[in-house]
Formats: sequence, structure tokens, C-alpha cells
Amino acid sequence: MSSISAQGVVERASAELSKRINGLGLRGSKHHSTKGGSVMERVTNVFCGGGGGGSAAGQLVVDDKFLARFFLYFSPCERCVLAQVCTRWRDVLYRSPRFWTGLVPVLQCREMRAAQGNERSRLYSSLLRRGFHNLCLMGASDEDALDLINSFPLASKHIHTLSLRCSSITDRGLESLLDHLQALYELELAGCNEITEAGLWACLNPRIVSLTLSDCINVADEAVGAVAQLLPALYEFSLQAYHVTDAALGYFSPKQSNSLNILRLHSCWEITNHGVVNIVHSLPNLTVLSLSGCSKITDDGVELIAENLQKLRSLDLSWCPRITDAALEYIACDLNQLEELTLDRCVHITDIGIGYISTMLSLSALYLRWCSQIRDFGLQHLCGMRNLQILSLAGCPLLTSSGLSSLIQLRHMRELELTNCPGASKELFDYLREHLPRCLVIE
Amino acid sequence: MPNIKLRSSDGETFEVDVEIAKCSVTIKTMLEDLGMDEEEEEVVPLPNVNSAILKKVIQWSTYHKDDPPPPEDDENKEKRTDDISSWDADFLKVDQGTLFELILAANYLDIKGLLDVTCKTVANMIKGKAPEEIRKTFNIKNDFTASEEEQVRKENEWCEEK
Repeated sequence: MSSISAQGVVERASAELSKRINGLGLRGSKHHSTKGGSVMERVTNVFCGGGGGGSAAGQLVVDDKFLARFFLYFSPCERCVLAQVCTRWRDVLYRSPRFWTGLVPVLQCREMRAAQGNERSRLYSSLLRRGFHNLCLMGASDEDALDLINSFPLASKHIHTLSLRCSSITDRGLESLLDHLQALYELELAGCNEITEAGLWACLNPRIVSLTLSDCINVADEAVGAVAQLLPALYEFSLQAYHVTDAALGYFSPKQSNSLNILRLHSCWEITNHGVVNIVHSLPNLTVLSLSGCSKITDDGVELIAENLQKLRSLDLSWCPRITDAALEYIACDLNQLEELTLDRCVHITDIGIGYISTMLSLSALYLRWCSQIRDFGLQHLCGMRNLQILSLAGCPLLTSSGLSSLIQLRHMRELELTNCPGASKELFDYLREHLPRCLVIE
Repeated sequence: MPNIKLRSSDGETFEVDVEIAKCSVTIKTMLEDLGMDEEEEEVVPLPNVNSAILKKVIQWSTYHKDDPPPPEDDENKEKRTDDISSWDADFLKVDQGTLFELILAANYLDIKGLLDVTCKTVANMIKGKAPEEIRKTFNIKNDFTASEEEQVRKENEWCEEK
């Protein structure tokens, strides 16, 4: 498919090389006699074009093609290092947005302030060049927001996703920024303690389909009211706020009951089973629900979820320590479409509960980190789950080496996490890797 | 099994099983296009591959002749590099020069599996290295101006995984 003409490369490279030998930046090669010069020089030509004269244009195309292929062997983060090697590498990487998917540029506003205005503009245009549509501002003030509006006019069309983290930005700054970003549909506010609920009422606009509010001190029930009222097309809502109460979860409108698919309530400590009643009534179409750290939820709440949210594909009940095996029975009986279940730190769960879960045919990912009562007997149940692809047993203290070795029966496993398992020895890891070659085993 | 003769750039001739030679899409296409299939005495010239490298390529292709065809590339997906088989890893315990010669040969001969595993090996050599170490490894000139370098550093150090 993407094979490059190596013949062409070598011919051009050796032409290039003889040019150099003829006096253009000679490198003192000892390989005059061999046809193509030293391998390293030929390869250097492939990798970075040699930096020769202007005649290299045709050669560059070929080289770039190889580089573009070679760079596929790196993660987006690793490519950040590669782009700093030379201009050729940078240009090949910057040209293709596909090299940068999965990354978000995080602008350190304090450092940005020290830079010249034109440096900031260059930084912004480099983001567009790499095809970024997302942006995170760290430590942003109102002035930084205004500077972005002034120095980055194209953001209005090209920025789809904005995060503001640990920022002192006020309601006014946020409003100006959101006015500017006319293509924005995904917003995150994390650690923005100056933002008030009145500010959210003023700036949220119906284009937003994904909203995350976390660790913003002024966010409580009234903020959820604004979200419910102003964002009819909301698809995904993540909220981490200690002071949100059950009442807030009754605010969602009938429109949102169709559009809202994903709800994550992280460490909303005040929420009880009454809040769950509100969720299941107002949002019956949820496919993803997380109540991680909503520690007042009990088995009765889970029963409501299982009976009413039949479309759930992912459920996270981690850090809900009141949950017992009974909750798992409800889940196993009713949530037939569930693919992912997270029960980290549900310390009352035992092998009996695992037995219930093991009957769930659709489940492909199961997280049981620090479920301290699970024993080898529970593992035997798990071994019958032929569709399981991801399993975490990190920190489960009672599992033995021989119990864990039975996991090789799970032929479809892609990822197995066994960090902090006292039963997981070096020999066990070798054994698992030998028998599950396609599986990433995390020590 | 019929054999075929391959001639390296330095004039050495190697006789190999046709099926093994066809690991190379370049050779396969050549044979099909030219209808050289049945003619025993034909010698395929490979002016871009020297005998030492051709020997290695044949050794690799012989070992991998029964491999299933590699899956189509998904250009948008990062390729793994931690899945080099132990045979390949041993096979590629060669000096850097030879490794790069193999890349060029695999490229020219269009042997996807060999190109893949050699690229992986080179990728692993530079993973985790700083830009300056990478430049050193490949003898690349740093052609950024000071301000460009600072700029590109910010542009990249300020990127995080989502």
C-alpha cells in the first residue's frame, strides 16, 4: 500500500551524497568507493532529507512518505518529542491531524503572559495547523480569556472543545469567551472557583452537548437547574460537586430525557436513593451512569437502576461502600445490555455477588479493584465469562497464585490488571503472558 | 518446488524457493508481469540490495513463509511495537547500519512484515529519548533557530493525553 520507492530514495540519496563529496558540506565519509555511501548517510537522508540544496524537492516527498509511515509506530505523546527533533520531522507530523488525535493542548496561562503577543499568535496558529479542535486553559484569568479572543480569532470557528482548569476566570470572562467560541459544543470547568451559578445561567448556550463541572466551589443545585433549562441537546453531563442534593436530579426536562445518554455524578456525597428515584424517572434513556463515590447509595438504589434503566451499557458504582451482593443480583437479573461494570472499593462484595455477575453474557469489562473479600472461588465464576475482555483485580488481597492462574481460560482477554495483588508472583505473570499472548497483563 | 535465482547488487546469485521469493511483492509482481514463472534460468537482478542484506532477507522470508498475510494498515491507529517475536528480536540483533539496510531492502522489495518489524525495532530504539539523543542516534542536524526551538518545545510539552 504505502510502500515507498526505496530505489528512488537510494538513487537520490547517492546523488545527494556525491554532491556533498564534491565539496558541498563534505562529511569525511570513508565510503567513497561503495556505491551509495555509508548506510548511515543514506538513512539519514531518508530520515531527515539531509538538509541539502534546493534540488531536494522531489526527494523530500519520498522521504516524507517514509517518515509518515514510521511515525505511526509512536503514541501521540511520543510524537510530541519527535516533533522537536528537526523542522522536517516537525513538518511531517504537523501536517497530519491524525498524528495528534487523543491529545489536548494545555496552555499554561501564566507562562503565556510572559510571551510576546506575536508568539502567542504563532502558538495558536500551530494548533490549527495540527488540526486541534480542543483547547485547555490552565490558570486562566479574565485577561487571558480576552487575550485569546484577540490573538486567536479563528478559534471562533475551529475550537469545539474547551476546558478551563484551576482558573480564576469570572462570570464575565467566561461569558465573553463563550460568546467568541461560536463552534463550541463541549465545555469543561474544573476548579474554577470564581464562576457562580448566575454566571452559568448567563453563559450556557444550547449548542453545548457535553458539559463537565468539577470541583467548582459555587456549583450546587441551582447550577444543575441552569443546565437542565438551558441545554436541551445535552448528551453527556459529568458533575462532581459535594453540595448537589437529590432535588437537583429532578430538574431535567423531557427533552433531555431523550438526549441525555451519559450521566456521571462523581463524589456527589449528598445524593441518596431519592436522587436515584429522580434519575430513573427523568432520564430513562441513560446508557452510561456513574455514581462513583456517591457513598450514600445502597442496594435499594441499585434495584431502582436495574429495574428502570434497561438501556445501560456502562455502570460505575465504585466507592459506594454500602453496596452488597444483593445489588449485584439486581444488576445481573435486569441489565442485560450492560457491557462495563465498575465496582472498585465495594468492600462488602463477596464471591456470591461475583457468582451473579458471572451470568452476564454481554459484560466485556469488569473492574473489581480493592474488593477485599473476593477469593479464588469467585475467580472460578469469572473464568466462565467467555466474553470478558478487560478485568481488573488490582489490590484484591485474598487471591492466590493458583487461583489467578486459572484466568488463562479467559481466551478473549485484552487487558488484565493485577497491580498490588499479593498473590501475583513473577512466575504467575510469565505464565499468564505465555498463555494469553494477546492480553496486556499489567503488573 | 521450483526455485528462482536472485542476484544482489554485488553480483552474488542466490537460489531460493519461488514461494519464499514471493514474500516480496516487488518480486511477485515482477514474476507475474514478466511471466517469468516457469523459466528456470531467469535471474532476477536486485540492484539495490547487497549480498549480505539479501542473505538476511532470505533468511527472514524463509522463517516467515507460512505467516498469514499481515492485516491491512489502519493508518489512524498507533501501531504496537512491543509485540516483536523472540525469533525476530534475535534476528534483528545487528548493528544499526545493517538494521537500516534491512529497512531500505524491505521497502524496496515491498516485504511488509519485515518492514514492519524493522521499523518497530528502530522505533523502540528512540522511544523515551529526548530530541537531542534522537538527533545523535540518527545524525540529524538541529535546524531550528533558538526561538523556533522554544516555540516547538512549548507547542509539544503543553500537550497532554485527553
